[in-house]
Amino acid sequence: MPYVITADCIDVTDRSCIEECPVDCIYEGDRKLYINPRECIDCGACEPVCPVTAISQDRRVAAEQREFAKDNARFFTEPLPGHAEPLGMAGGSAVVGPLGVDTPLVAGYEAVG
Amino acid sequence: MSVIDRDLLIIGAGPVGLYAAYYAGFRGLSTVVADSLPEIGGQISAMYPEKPIYDVAGFPAVKGRDLVAGLAAQASVFDPTYLLGARVQTLARGEDGVISATTHDDGIEIRCRAVVISGGIGTFTPRALPVGEDWLGRGLSYFVPALEAHAGQDVVVVGGGDSACDWALNLEPIARSVTLVHRRASFRAHEHSVTRLRATSVQILTDSEVTAITGGDLLEQVVVAGPDGSVRRPAQSVIAALGFTANLGPIRDWGIEVTGNRHLPVDTTMSTNIPGVFAAGDITDYRGKVRLISVGFGEAATAVNNAAVLIRPDQALFPGHSSDAAPLEPATALA
Repeated sequence: MPYVITADCIDVTDRSCIEECPVDCIYEGDRKLYINPRECIDCGACEPVCPVTAISQDRRVAAEQREFAKDNARFFTEPLPGHAEPLGMAGGSAVVGPLGVDTPLVAGYEAVG
Repeated sequence: MSVIDRDLLIIGAGPVGLYAAYYAGFRGLSTVVADSLPEIGGQISAMYPEKPIYDVAGFPAVKGRDLVAGLAAQASVFDPTYLLGARVQTLARGEDGVISATTHDDGIEIRCRAVVISGGIGTFTPRALPVGEDWLGRGLSYFVPALEAHAGQDVVVVGGGDSACDWALNLEPIARSVTLVHRRASFRAHEHSVTRLRATSVQILTDSEVTAITGGDLLEQVVVAGPDGSVRRPAQSVIAALGFTANLGPIRDWGIEVTGNRHLPVDTTMSTNIPGVFAAGDITDYRGKVRLISVGFGEAATAVNNAAVLIRPDQALFPGHSSDAAPLEPATALA
């Protein structure tokens, strides 16, 4: 039931959402931000502040963005490059800091047009 | 340190905690409800008082604040003791089964036989204003517990959510002036509130931030930086309504098993690993858990009824039907 960040965030990473999140569940990769679906409480505070409207509820994501919606979870459930373990319930973005790496989907993303 | 003796301590005055207070009263338990926020309603009051909720049984739609008011009225029949603005800091169970808890400022000790932790996502902490934190208590505040305290003042409200807009609206008739400062162009608050605000004398400064607070013993002036440069405004009060952050807080230190840094595993009686310490609502965890308000209400009833048996072993788990009980007049103490 969480909110998710879609591909529109890639290479933008404005971070306004991080400032709004009451549970500090938006983590910073290299090219994109990711919402931890298990820590998100579905409050929606992040959605209106995104300057590129990259955030929406997972059940309202446009068809072409579904893979990126699911990719939010992968950032936490699969080990990131250079990490032996998945991040899991990391306990807060401020605790972990910027990770400097992305999921394979985002790392290999090339902007179209 | 003052001591409060009750059968049951409920930690968290959100919807689930309030319903637990009703149920505890129905079971004849004396109850104290503690919450770190200065108002009841938990996440609903702090984050979405204006949002309609559609999944509370019997209510096709109910506005957040109306649901909280209804829950408080329902519990008030049994006159629970509320400790608001009181974060429970320590909690320990003695060998005699008496559980002792203390509040964050060491002001109060609560002694009880059972606890229900309805702590949701944990302790809410107001987001600090980036400047002027040292004015806290000398004109800067995070809440408006009593509107009258600002009568005749120049008030600057900071924020763009429901709380900021509500406070600005409610203060406007009694304050000398109200300025609303929001660092973005659009408001997060309910559209209706923003429309109402624009029809009042409240001066709305968007894309603006408070960059300095000055004064003597008490706050006298704020500097607001906006698109057209900085302006100075007289102010005796600054109310920072910048939202909240939440985390589990002191609960981690009570010897209760915690999963994912966030949740308390419970069994089918809603008991945690510590005898006498139950949990209900968003904070609980078990296989198949669904984090919804309607589920939390059910867990509150399960937790309180099991706590009732633990406190008074001669009593039955099943409380009887509320419809069979003699009707009670709402207590006037909380009215």
